[in-house]
Amino acid sequence: MAEPEVYKFFSEYVYKHTGILYKEQDYYRLDARFNTLIKEFDLKDVSELYHLYIQKITPEMHTTLIDLCTNNETYFMRDLKPFKAFAKEGMSYLKEKFPNDLSYNFWSAACSTGQEPLSLLMALDSFGDNFNLDKVRLEASDISSEALKKAQSGVYTGLEVQRGLPANLLIKYFTQEEESWKIDPSLLKRISFKSLNLLTDNFPLTQYHIIFIRNVLIYQDMDNKRKILAKVCDALKPGGLMFMGAGESLIGVDIPMTQKELGKAFCYVKEG
Amino acid sequence: MKVLVVDDSKPIFMMVSQMLKDLGHDAVWAENGQDGVEKVAANPDLELVLLDWNMPVMDGLQFLQKNTSDSFCKAPIVMMTTENKPEKIQEALKNGAVDYIMKPFTADILENKIEMVCD
Repeated sequence: MAEPEVYKFFSEYVYKHTGILYKEQDYYRLDARFNTLIKEFDLKDVSELYHLYIQKITPEMHTTLIDLCTNNETYFMRDLKPFKAFAKEGMSYLKEKFPNDLSYNFWSAACSTGQEPLSLLMALDSFGDNFNLDKVRLEASDISSEALKKAQSGVYTGLEVQRGLPANLLIKYFTQEEESWKIDPSLLKRISFKSLNLLTDNFPLTQYHIIFIRNVLIYQDMDNKRKILAKVCDALKPGGLMFMGAGESLIGVDIPMTQKELGKAFCYVKEG
Repeated sequence: MKVLVVDDSKPIFMMVSQMLKDLGHDAVWAENGQDGVEKVAANPDLELVLLDWNMPVMDGLQFLQKNTSDSFCKAPIVMMTTENKPEKIQEALKNGAVDYIMKPFTADILENKIEMVCD
């Protein structure tokens, strides 16, 4: 247990820089993170950690704290149906809606350790109707530099590749390296990874045909959710699609998007 | 849902059985492939088979091959084994397994595989 002002200081800092809210009842979740920071910076206790951070936060201290406080929970083909719908009905929709576009821009907005963008490519390749992956421009971003580093390595544990990934896709796209599994490099190189803060960074305007922003806004309060979704909407082309997580919705968010049934999944389409 | 767990290790069966119970399913145990064939016949309401590979009397691959020739099991069969080489996974899928779980695994992996296979 740390002093209340310590929790307050760190929770406010994390909120300011990520929008992730640690309420008072969640303060205990910071304890394990404090312990990791104490070890990382070779300190004695929480008090020393607090005093180090209130003096000056170096870029390294900032990155380490943010990496620890973001949730990298993810898995391949999460909920499956949106990925199948994206690859089949989503691609049919794009062909009809954007008949003159030679390529499509997709964005996995909170890609964590890379499972989501890789799932998008595997879905297009395996569930789509002979879709040519050369037509895809896929960007993937995350706030956590540690998560991005892992995503760019394309290497996963036996447990990670089993979470969500059917065995036929595992042996189709991965090779085993001792106890790890490495994604086919020809798939990985199709993804442009970048560091991005959804709350504070600007997004390109009317750039994307489809944006996946799944299971990330649940950690934001309503004001930040509105702010991020307004930017996501601006980043979509008119007629573009947005996929959110199961159980996430636009309730309470006033942006020009309407819900659309796509195969066995739901997404949102930008008006226009 | 009733699930047949074919595994010669009772501790493994106990562990998987508890995971299944926590997910709201019932487990039936068979201690090898031959016992599995008999349990399939005795339990027509089975909805899933979790099948170990290395077992005495009749192993998991022989169980799959017998099912290919006799079609005695209508429920989907998921391999659940310490064999973790891609060529083994390939062989199991080629012989009729619908999916594959490598030991060790966690309850959420089991849950996820069940959802995918039985959806």
